[in-house]
Amino acid sequence: MEVINARSALLSNFEVLELLRELESDHLARTKTEIRVKKEEEVSGISSIAKHPATIEITENVRTIQVEAIQHLSAEYQPTSSQTSTGITQLVKDLASYDLTKAEKLQIVNLAPMQPVELYVSAFRYHEQIVEELEDRLGESMETVLSTVSASLSAAPSHPTDASSPTHLLPISSTDTMADLSVQYPSEDFDDAAIVDDMIFEDEGQGVGVEGDLDKEED
Amino acid sequence: MFNLAILKDTVAIHPSNFGLPPEQALVAELNKKYANRVLHDVGLCISVFDLSEVGEGKVRYGDGFLWYKTVFRMVIFRPFTSEVILGKVKSSDESSVRVSLGFFDDIYIPAIYLPQPSCFDPNERAHFWIPESEFTKPHELLDTPIVGRMYIDTGEVIRIRVEADEFYDDEPGPPKALDGVAVEKEVRRAPYSVIASVAEQGLGPVSWWNGTGAEDAAMEED
Repeated sequence: MEVINARSALLSNFEVLELLRELESDHLARTKTEIRVKKEEEVSGISSIAKHPATIEITENVRTIQVEAIQHLSAEYQPTSSQTSTGITQLVKDLASYDLTKAEKLQIVNLAPMQPVELYVSAFRYHEQIVEELEDRLGESMETVLSTVSASLSAAPSHPTDASSPTHLLPISSTDTMADLSVQYPSEDFDDAAIVDDMIFEDEGQGVGVEGDLDKEED
Repeated sequence: MFNLAILKDTVAIHPSNFGLPPEQALVAELNKKYANRVLHDVGLCISVFDLSEVGEGKVRYGDGFLWYKTVFRMVIFRPFTSEVILGKVKSSDESSVRVSLGFFDDIYIPAIYLPQPSCFDPNERAHFWIPESEFTKPHELLDTPIVGRMYIDTGEVIRIRVEADEFYDDEPGPPKALDGVAVEKEVRRAPYSVIASVAEQGLGPVSWWNGTGAEDAAMEED
């Protein structure tokens, strides 16, 4: 077992929530099929020695982490359940005009600040001697940023219900959005795969050069 | 909060799973091995994101498993320093407040990272903060009226900033026996813990900052 890159890309809470929900709905669909197949066999008296298609066993640790992480991410105090992938792509495009690092944009996406003080907390930089005040950098545009954020949240939170949700989630991975679960990140302005500023983080640019194909546009 | 790590490993698929498409079987085996476990210096593994490279399945002498060499990406939970996250207060004691995220519980706010001046109230078993107070000694703070205190209660949603994280890799040694009686295992430390702070404007229980903005707008940061 080898760790090739401990941090090759950052993910937003929304992407992780989508991934986990998709896995969970796959698992639930499979479980339902198994139960239905078993019931049919009992009814028709077929012996259970007959071949079953191979079933995937899901161990407890996988289910535990899935359930708990979904619970945490879709809690009411989190904005994640009322986000959509198009909303986020739009938000990130709008944020590109301000002087924010990748990590700050990611935090704004994750926290969806509705008030100046929340925005202040997400984008306040510490750097030894230099402490940049958010107001100096953004000025009056803080209010604009906040209204952009609230515009990106849809009115109704989205809740997955049952096996019908995979059909709802599938189109997202085939269209040109940030939540594309395949290797390519098509969004030009927000590059999830890019390295964050060295000014903020302790790690010294690990993975430089790994994102060769993922790195689209750099600001 | 989450990032992707690229890992390389060799996975064995049992013959009973040969009927499955190999990607599904591989992802299931990898999740079985890694989900909800801490990788040292990497973070808490959540789930496999995708498979990047998979070698040919080879049969080894001696067992019927198909062995695949895989390179895959895994979703890892590891908040970076200075990231702000939301959690719930799980418990408090004299030295720290413990915050939980549901799937991860070992986030601690040591008392020095609480907004000053603050103190621990043994009656309530909770820390409280008195905004704009000149008192510094605990007995002075405990004499203040309860109305003016801002408590950090259990179960409250709280916004915290991550300051540091620690990995602890404990290798189990051989069981020690003293006079023929096996000694009990020592207390286990959490393999991964996070230190956080709430000592700034905007941090702390969400209810402190909601809808008012009048909450200590005068508090200056150093």
